[in-house]
Amino acid sequence: MEHSGNFIAFIGEHLQQFFSYTAFANVTAGHLVMICIGLIFIYLAIAKEYEPMLLIPIGFGILVGNIAFMPGLKIGIYESGSVLNYLYFGVLQGVYPPLIFLGIGAMTDFSALISNPKLMLIGAAAQLGIFGAYAIALLLGFSPSEAGAIGIIGGADGPTAIFLSSKLAPELLGAIAISAYSYMALVPVIQPPVMRLLTTKKERLIRMKPPRSVSKTEKVLFPIIGMLLTCFIVPSGLPLLGMLFFGNLLKESGVTKRLADTAKGPMIDIVTILIGLTVGASTQATTFLTAKSVGIFALGAASFVIATFGGVMFVKILNLFLKEGNKMNPLIGNAGVSAVPDSARVSQVIGLEYDKTNHLLMHAMGPNVAGVIGSAVAAGILLGFLS
Amino acid sequence: MKTVSISGILVTLVLVFFAGSCYSQSTRDLKINEILVLNDSNYVDDYGRHSSWIEVFNSAYNTVDIGGSYLTNDPANPTKYYIPKGDPITKIAPRNYLVFFADNLPTRGILHLNFDLEESNYLALFEGNGKTMIDAIKFTSQKSDVSFGRLTDGNHQWGFLEKTTPLANNYTGVIESPGEKFVEMDPYGGGMAVIAMSVVFAALILLYVVFKNTKRLYSINFRTLFAGRKKVADVIIPAEAEITGEVNAAIAMAIHLYMHQLHDHEETVLTIKKVARTYSPWSSKIYGLRNMPR
Repeated sequence: MEHSGNFIAFIGEHLQQFFSYTAFANVTAGHLVMICIGLIFIYLAIAKEYEPMLLIPIGFGILVGNIAFMPGLKIGIYESGSVLNYLYFGVLQGVYPPLIFLGIGAMTDFSALISNPKLMLIGAAAQLGIFGAYAIALLLGFSPSEAGAIGIIGGADGPTAIFLSSKLAPELLGAIAISAYSYMALVPVIQPPVMRLLTTKKERLIRMKPPRSVSKTEKVLFPIIGMLLTCFIVPSGLPLLGMLFFGNLLKESGVTKRLADTAKGPMIDIVTILIGLTVGASTQATTFLTAKSVGIFALGAASFVIATFGGVMFVKILNLFLKEGNKMNPLIGNAGVSAVPDSARVSQVIGLEYDKTNHLLMHAMGPNVAGVIGSAVAAGILLGFLS
Repeated sequence: MKTVSISGILVTLVLVFFAGSCYSQSTRDLKINEILVLNDSNYVDDYGRHSSWIEVFNSAYNTVDIGGSYLTNDPANPTKYYIPKGDPITKIAPRNYLVFFADNLPTRGILHLNFDLEESNYLALFEGNGKTMIDAIKFTSQKSDVSFGRLTDGNHQWGFLEKTTPLANNYTGVIESPGEKFVEMDPYGGGMAVIAMSVVFAALILLYVVFKNTKRLYSINFRTLFAGRKKVADVIIPAEAEITGEVNAAIAMAIHLYMHQLHDHEETVLTIKKVARTYSPWSSKIYGLRNMPR
C-alpha cells in the first residue's frame, strides 16, 4: 500500500515536471500576441495572396518562434547548438541574402533598364527613403548603427535589409525584416495615395516611348560592367551586388542555362524557405515585443512614403529638362523603391486607371530593377560608414 | 592552336605579374606590437616567472600561422629562434595576439625564446626563408614594468604605454565606433543623406553614361574602321529601286494571309500522318508467349 502511494506520488511529481516543460506552463501574453501576428501573416498570404512566398514562411516561423519552452533544452533559435540556431546562422552571418540576390540576378531581365538608361536615375532617387528614415531614427534616439539598419527598410528590399541589419544591429534584425517584408506586401496600399497626391492628371496621362530592343551583347555586358562600376565605387556592397550581377550573367550568357536555372529555381526557393522561417522564428516575444519594434514599424512606413516621394518627384523634376515626346510618366517613379515587381505593378495599375491603353509596366520595370542595385549600393555605403 | 598558346602565355604572364604585386594575407600581416623588457612584477609566464615578453599582433582578418618564422635579437643572426611549425598555439586568430617570453629558457615550451631582451636593444621577426624581414624594432633604455609598444594595434607610432596590455588592445581609452564618430559630426543625418545619395547617384549615373553609349560603341564596325575608309568616289550607292503596284499588292496580300489565315478552327482539319512501327522481336507474335511451348 505504501509502495503504491509512493508510486502515485512519483507519477504525480513527474507529470508536474512534464507540465513545467510544456508551452502551457511557460506561455506569456507576449507569446500569444506574436502567435496572433503569425496567424494574421498566414491569413494575408493565403486569403489575400500578399507576398505568399514570404509571408507563409515568416508567419509560420513566428508561430515556431513563439512556442514557449523551458530554456536550456537547445530548442530556441537563440540557444547555441539548437537546430534553429544553426539555420539562423545563415541570417546572422549574412549568408542567405547574397544567395537570394544570386537568384534574383538569374531571374531579372535588365532589358528595360538597358533600353532606357535614364530610368536608372529614378532607382537612385528613390533611395531617399533610406536616408530620410535614417535621419528620423537618429532624432528618435536610435544609435547610429540602429538608425542605419532601420533606414534600409526604405530600400524595400528584404534580403538587403536582413544583410545590413545582421551587420549593424543584429538585435533588431527580426523587427527590421518583418517590417520590411510587411511593407513590401503593403506596397499596393502605401504607394498609390502618395503617387496621386504628387501628380497632376495631365502628368498621369504621359505616354512614354516604347523601349527599344536590346541586343544580346548589351545584356551580357550589363552585369559585367555593372558589377565592376558599382563595386569599384562601393566595395562594401560586393556580397550583394557581386551575386546579383553574377546571377544575371549566368542568365544572359546563354551558355550556363543549368546554373541559371538552379540559381533562380531550387536554390532561391531553399534559401527563401530558410530565411523566411528563421527570420520569423527570431521574433520571440521576449526579444521582439519592445518599444523599439514599434518605432521600427513606424519608421518603416515613413521610409516607404519618403522613398515613393523621392522617386515620383525626381521624375517630375527630370521632365522639366526633357523635350516633349521624351518625357516620362511620373507614375513610374514609385517603382524606384525596389520591391520587384510589386511597385512596378502599382505603376501599371494606377496608369491604367487614367488611360486604359497606357501600359507602364515595362517602363516601370527599369527603375524597379535599378532600385535593387541602388538599395544594395546604399546598403554598402551605410555599412562602410557605420560598421 | 597558335592562338590558344599565345593567349595561354599572355594569361600566364599577367598572372605572374600580378602575383608579384599582390599577396594573400600571410605572415606579412604580423606585427611586433608590444614588448616589456624589464618585467619585475608584471605579467607572469606559465611557470609563474616574471620575464621579458613580446606580443605579436595579427593585423589580418584571417588566421595566420607564425610557425616557421624566426625571432631574433641579433641583426647578424636573423634565424636565432625558430618558431616550430604545426603547433596549434602558433596559429594566431584574426586581429589577435600571441605572447612570447624572452627568458632564454627554450626548453620550457615553444613560446619561450632562446634569448633575453635585456641583453639587447633590437628585436626582429623574419619569414621562414630567414631573409625576408617581417617586422623589426630598435629600442633604447626601458622602464621597469612599463611596456613599449604601438600606440594602437598595428599602428606605426611607438611609445611607452600607460598600461601593459599583453594579449589585449594597446589602446585602453574609450573607443568610439565609426558610426558614433560619424554622428558626432552629423547629428541629424543630413550629411549622410547628401554623401550617400551622391554616391548612389554617381554609381547609377556612371552606369547610365556607359549604357547610353554602349550600343554606339559595339555597333562600330571595327573591321571597316581598321581597313581604312573608302574614298567617297569609290563607294557605289545603289539607286533606289522602283517598286511597282503589283509587287506592293503581292506584299499586302502576303501580309494579309499571314495575319488572318491562322487556322483558328483546327478541329475541322484532318491530319493524315503515317504511322510506322519499327520491328522488334520483343513485340513479334512469332516469339510471343501465347504460343504453347513445345
